[in-house]
Amino acid sequence: MIALGTRRILLTLPVLFLISVIVFSLLHLIPGDPARVILGQDATPRALEALRVQLGLTKPLWVQYLQWMGNVLHGNLGRSLQNGLPVSLLIGQALPVTIELAVGTILVSGLIAIPLGIYAATHRGRLADLITVFGASIGLSIPPFWLGIMLLLLFSVNLHIFPSSGFVPFGQNPLQNLQAMCLPVLATAVREAAVLLRMMRSSLVEVLDADYIRTARAKGLIWRIVVIRHAVRNALVPVLTQSGLQIAGLLGGLVITETIFSLPGFGSLLVNSIFSRDYTVIQGGALVVAVLVVGVNLLTDLCYGLLDPRIRMDKGGM
Amino acid sequence: MGKKRIIASAASIILAMSATAWAVSPAMASSRSVAHYSSVPSGQIDIGLSADPPKLDPSLSSALVDRQVMINIYDTLFQLSAKGQLEPDLATGYTVSKNGLTYTLHLRKGVLFQDGTPFNAAAVKFNLQRDLLKISPRASSLSSISAIDVTAPYTVVLHLSKPFSPLLNVLTGRAGMMVSPTAVKKEGANFLNDPVGTGPYEFVKRVTGSYIDLKANPHYWVKGEPHFATVEYKIFTDPNVELLNLQSGAVQFIDTVPPQQVYSLSSNASYTVINKPSYGYQGIYLNVKAAPFTNVYLREAVDHAINRNLLVGAIFRGTAVAGNSPFGPASPAYVKAEDAAPRVDPSLVRSLLKKGGKPAGFTFTMQTAASPLNVQIAEILQSMLSPYGIKMKIDQLDFGTMLNNSTDGNFTAMALGWSGRLDPDQDIYSFFYTGAPLNSSQYSNPKVDLLLNRARAVSNMAQRKALYAQAMAIINHDAPYVFLYHPNNVLAYSNTIKGFVYIPDGLIRVATLS
Repeated sequence: MIALGTRRILLTLPVLFLISVIVFSLLHLIPGDPARVILGQDATPRALEALRVQLGLTKPLWVQYLQWMGNVLHGNLGRSLQNGLPVSLLIGQALPVTIELAVGTILVSGLIAIPLGIYAATHRGRLADLITVFGASIGLSIPPFWLGIMLLLLFSVNLHIFPSSGFVPFGQNPLQNLQAMCLPVLATAVREAAVLLRMMRSSLVEVLDADYIRTARAKGLIWRIVVIRHAVRNALVPVLTQSGLQIAGLLGGLVITETIFSLPGFGSLLVNSIFSRDYTVIQGGALVVAVLVVGVNLLTDLCYGLLDPRIRMDKGGM
Repeated sequence: MGKKRIIASAASIILAMSATAWAVSPAMASSRSVAHYSSVPSGQIDIGLSADPPKLDPSLSSALVDRQVMINIYDTLFQLSAKGQLEPDLATGYTVSKNGLTYTLHLRKGVLFQDGTPFNAAAVKFNLQRDLLKISPRASSLSSISAIDVTAPYTVVLHLSKPFSPLLNVLTGRAGMMVSPTAVKKEGANFLNDPVGTGPYEFVKRVTGSYIDLKANPHYWVKGEPHFATVEYKIFTDPNVELLNLQSGAVQFIDTVPPQQVYSLSSNASYTVINKPSYGYQGIYLNVKAAPFTNVYLREAVDHAINRNLLVGAIFRGTAVAGNSPFGPASPAYVKAEDAAPRVDPSLVRSLLKKGGKPAGFTFTMQTAASPLNVQIAEILQSMLSPYGIKMKIDQLDFGTMLNNSTDGNFTAMALGWSGRLDPDQDIYSFFYTGAPLNSSQYSNPKVDLLLNRARAVSNMAQRKALYAQAMAIINHDAPYVFLYHPNNVLAYSNTIKGFVYIPDGLIRVATLS
């Protein structure tokens, strides 16, 4: 297990290096100039040039990259070109919001999807199964931004049960934090739950048809025990993969939910930085996303090991 | 009662002082001279903003939304009245030499910055010198200042290299916002994240993309203001979400309302909607150095083929007015007949196309910002041009790329407007003067240059208006820019809020709100 973990961590280093090079080069390839965005529409060429020099944008690209990478290796992500704040502070403020939202979304969608998926799979072809599958299709078709606005209109504007904005960090006031997170988590969880539910159902249906399940039943085991101990555990492996992918996707992909619920999250930070050509924030942000995605994948792999001992034993396994 | 009387007499002394100082320019009177008798500031007002202000430093700010917050942290040397007239603020009076080259400003005494340091002539000199630094977006509007002298503790003299009549109007905006020199020296580059001024509210903290907190300034020089103890600005990048937060009660004031919601919100008795013309304008740059718009007839053909009234009616639902000049109804240079949208005359358009050598029409690409509103406008323009065989392709870009292309002349046509300023010079000079920073069309006409320079040298607004009218007649004929409309300032607030005074710059001044 430890060997697997170490090998995976070592393999991530070249991946991270490559990502940093790609992000850096792509950023400088896209049109647009930070000095222009910072100084605005009516800036004079003289002012633009002076600012470019001040921001270090006139140096050769490879020098800029090496300087940035050197600072990163010393744990310094630099300062925002827009407002001069440390990039680590900006990311440190925004990232927990998005992680909370992403993890909350996966937990809630798991809580909805796994029991319903099991129920549907074990009642295959019956009315309950049809209703569940139909519900999942609806969940998949509802855009999270629409659901978000509907939830706000109902619960914030009309019923005044949940706040419409005003994120409070968990450490500052856990109750207010959870109140502020309820609606956004629900708005994103519906779609994610629908994906997981279909995955859970089809995976379990497949497992339930397997020979070893027939054997277990033939041994005279109770149906419920067969499902829970033997079938679900095996059926969870693809569901887990899916959840890992979903969390990774959510980390950078929650911009719309963040906008609707006015959450100062990581997705919004990245999008705004791209629009304002805030190179240092984008580079730092992309690197952090890469580390997180790699980290989530690593964790998912380690969880496979827990679910399926064969993966643990297989030394050549990736 | 005794306490009230003391406040009243203190107020009248201040009033008398400011009246004496202002006597040098008797045409003006301050709307702030009325002292209120209010208790200690209490409660909080929450205000929705449509974007996160990037820089709360007037010397570095380039985003319009910065001003919404800054106007409450800083006072300006001069301010605008509700009618858009110049009024005293930190400067109580001024004199201008006959040749228009020397401005003497008399400053208000007894004003403290929020850090407790005094506001005086040395502070004004520090501020203006800071604005004149190369990397300040303020430098271009103050570039006529050649020297600044402090002649007395509360008197500052500005020497100009050439007459520049817009100067005082410019000082009602960001160039006139006074920051604490002590705080700038202490904070250095971080001043924009910890701003200090003399205004009614002082900065407390902010979380990027989320909120900005201010609290009442105990040193504030206008007695009885402000009324709210704290202000929280909340950032909503989607206008529909911002409106929803007004309706849920999370904020009591919002700085924008989506056009399609203005009617329903106005008819709701719980809210007040302000919908008034701004100083700004929107339109299309036609690059006179790029084919096909090197041909003046083809530029004119596009200009004449667009039905501005129809465009505004279809999209803005009363939150914009069709126009044909940089000077909308709020501008001191506004002339109704000149700004009126021209009637669309299909035979004129066809004859222009013929004169331009393209009787069957032509094809061009217009760059526009990739927002639903801008794309909708572009599509309507497209349909207005197509009957004449003019095929317009739409190229959607992000704002940063557009700004770059506009500087580099890397476009044929580009939909890009201007937020507008109080002084008409700031809405026309940079756009049409040869080689000026905002002259993205690369337009050049010596007659226009001459008229615009003459308007800068004349101080009388009526005379300036006449000069602008002459310049506009030439510009509209040459059509380097297709003026389309003037957007309104649309604000809304809950009727629990009292005391709002609308000033044409559209800023929410919190000091008078209760």
